[in-house]
Amino acid sequence: MNKKIQRSLAVVSVASLIFGVSAVSSAIAAPKTVYLAFQAPLTGPNALTGQDELTGAKFALSEYNASNPSVMVELVLADDQGDPTVAASVAPGIASNKSIIGLIGPAYSGATQASLPAYKAGGLALISMSATRVSLTDKKAPVNGFPIFKRVVANDKFQGPALVRYATKGITAPKVYLVDDVSAYGAGLAEYAKKTITAAMNVGKDSVPANTSDYTSVVAKVKASEATVVIYCGYAPDAAKFVKALRDGGYTGVFASGDGTLKADFPVNAGKNAAEGSRLTAADVPFENVATAAQMVAFTKLTGIKVPGTYVTSTYNATNIFLACIKQGAISRPGIQNCITNGSFKGIAGDTIRFDRYGDIIGGAAVGAFTIKDGKIAYVGVA
Amino acid sequence: MNFSVLATQFWSLCLQGVALGFIYVLISLGYTMVYGVLRLINFANSEVVMVGTFATVIAQVTILKNATDSDPLHGFKLIYTLIFALVFSALICGVLGVLVELVAYRRLRALGTNRLASLISAIAVSIVLSEAVRIYSHSAPLTSPRLLEKWSFGEVAGANFRIDTVLIIVAGSIIFFALDRFVNRSRLGKAIRAVSMSEENSKLMGINLNRVISLTFFIGGLTTGAAAFFYTTVYETTQFNVGFNLGLAAFTAAVLGGIGNLRGAFYGGIFLGVLEQFSSAILGSQWKSVTVFLVLVLVLLIKPSGIFGEAVQQTRT
Repeated sequence: MNKKIQRSLAVVSVASLIFGVSAVSSAIAAPKTVYLAFQAPLTGPNALTGQDELTGAKFALSEYNASNPSVMVELVLADDQGDPTVAASVAPGIASNKSIIGLIGPAYSGATQASLPAYKAGGLALISMSATRVSLTDKKAPVNGFPIFKRVVANDKFQGPALVRYATKGITAPKVYLVDDVSAYGAGLAEYAKKTITAAMNVGKDSVPANTSDYTSVVAKVKASEATVVIYCGYAPDAAKFVKALRDGGYTGVFASGDGTLKADFPVNAGKNAAEGSRLTAADVPFENVATAAQMVAFTKLTGIKVPGTYVTSTYNATNIFLACIKQGAISRPGIQNCITNGSFKGIAGDTIRFDRYGDIIGGAAVGAFTIKDGKIAYVGVA
Repeated sequence: MNFSVLATQFWSLCLQGVALGFIYVLISLGYTMVYGVLRLINFANSEVVMVGTFATVIAQVTILKNATDSDPLHGFKLIYTLIFALVFSALICGVLGVLVELVAYRRLRALGTNRLASLISAIAVSIVLSEAVRIYSHSAPLTSPRLLEKWSFGEVAGANFRIDTVLIIVAGSIIFFALDRFVNRSRLGKAIRAVSMSEENSKLMGINLNRVISLTFFIGGLTTGAAAFFYTTVYETTQFNVGFNLGLAAFTAAVLGGIGNLRGAFYGGIFLGVLEQFSSAILGSQWKSVTVFLVLVLVLLIKPSGIFGEAVQQTRT
């Protein structure tokens, strides 16, 4: 190595040392920043769910960061496309990033189930805003989320019966045909819906795998059963295809579905007439119903959205639980875990949120009833 | 098992099965034509049909400016729109078929590599196409406007003769018989058949091998594109991953009938469509794939060359 190069290297080394030190100094001066991950489908067929929910997290964070806290919080986005296989590949990266102290999500039950091994190994606390599968908080289930998993929504043990109640409301001697999409979420919801369907109401059940194009054989069975109510447990893209096939096949009865279908693109993909009047439930109340006028103005200013989407309220609540713990000084994974498990928090509607040992809200949460009116989702009330 | 559904829905299931079968027939022609001349499975054909479904929606929405929520069309405008979308989808898929041959097969063929290399390169092209469309569409479903109002000619024994069902059966039959005649009667068809029987001898007879193979991929692409159009017209939606299931079903149909055999693809497709409908109705939709592949295994155990196999030499491409 000649002398010129040696000298240059020395200069570079000294400079980097100086700048390195100054960078550390400025880091000490600046408020500390911690990271929360947000896991949901942000692209793919179910992207609308995640994008809607993300607005809730961003809004909660904007309120928090605007209050000049001593610890700033930033979001790290993890896109699992709502797909368990994608989630299983995303989770290890998030779990190994030690600067992330908690995770808002995952949004979907199947994705949650697939992510749990990595997050359990990393001791990362999760608060889901929309994963409703019962087994996630069932101590007897082979894959449950104990001790890291919590959720701020009612599980399918509540939503299943509420869905059947709302689907059959006002129908004399209803004949119910139940269809699920074989997914972790759909099959789970159907299981709890089925328990509420009496023998007199039950006229049939089928399981049609997600991504099926042709629903004509199911439509034939629905027609043969003379069903007056069809309940579909699955996600919006498939629900849109199914309801379209039902209406094209001449079915005129009620079409009902759970929170997986409650997406603004459901009536768009199903077409103007097919989705109209569909009865949908979700373990959530619309954000605009519980936010103050000032919050709604700020929300629209931040996101550009006038009507918040599904699960914004629960995402806002989930994010605020993390933020409350950070405010209390819990800025490590064990600290956050301890705070969430033992703490008591306020929801935006003034409700108290406390978790039981396995991660469900003590006292349960409300299930909202919605319908499709003039091609748009309209809130009806509590299911 | 639910046999009671057959009491009122038997003929409805038959009709819907035949209509679905015609979609499989048109796609399986793409597999069978290529297998006929190259003795290779064109695994990229599943993604060609997926591209065709997107081409159909692009023709209807982007080129002809029909909004996704527009009202059904009538009269000349309807006929023009449907024919334009059909031709556009078929041409895009035909050209794509030729490109697939150029990229995935021709160079490897010229180098004299083994068949496995071509199969892998076809799978690679299939992945490239699928991922490219996934990125283009942000993985979201694409909805096609309902341009064809789904009125019915009437019901016979519970079977609803809806316009789109009838359209697939009639147009699918016309396309199949036109192709059958083309392959059996025309000069180019004879060249295709000659290549399928013996590459070496057909070269000695002065047939331009590359041209005939490109033509075969083009024709296979045309029928696949037509299938994509009918699929989109009936189901009014598509997605980047729609090709996998359709391709698998059509490939199964081609193998059932006897791959490399045009009429085998026809009967295989119809048989598969009807079998899917009945297995879904009687056993439950989740048993559909199990039943279909069980039947495939049984057929191949008894007759490895498929139901028609090599028996119908004259119709082989």
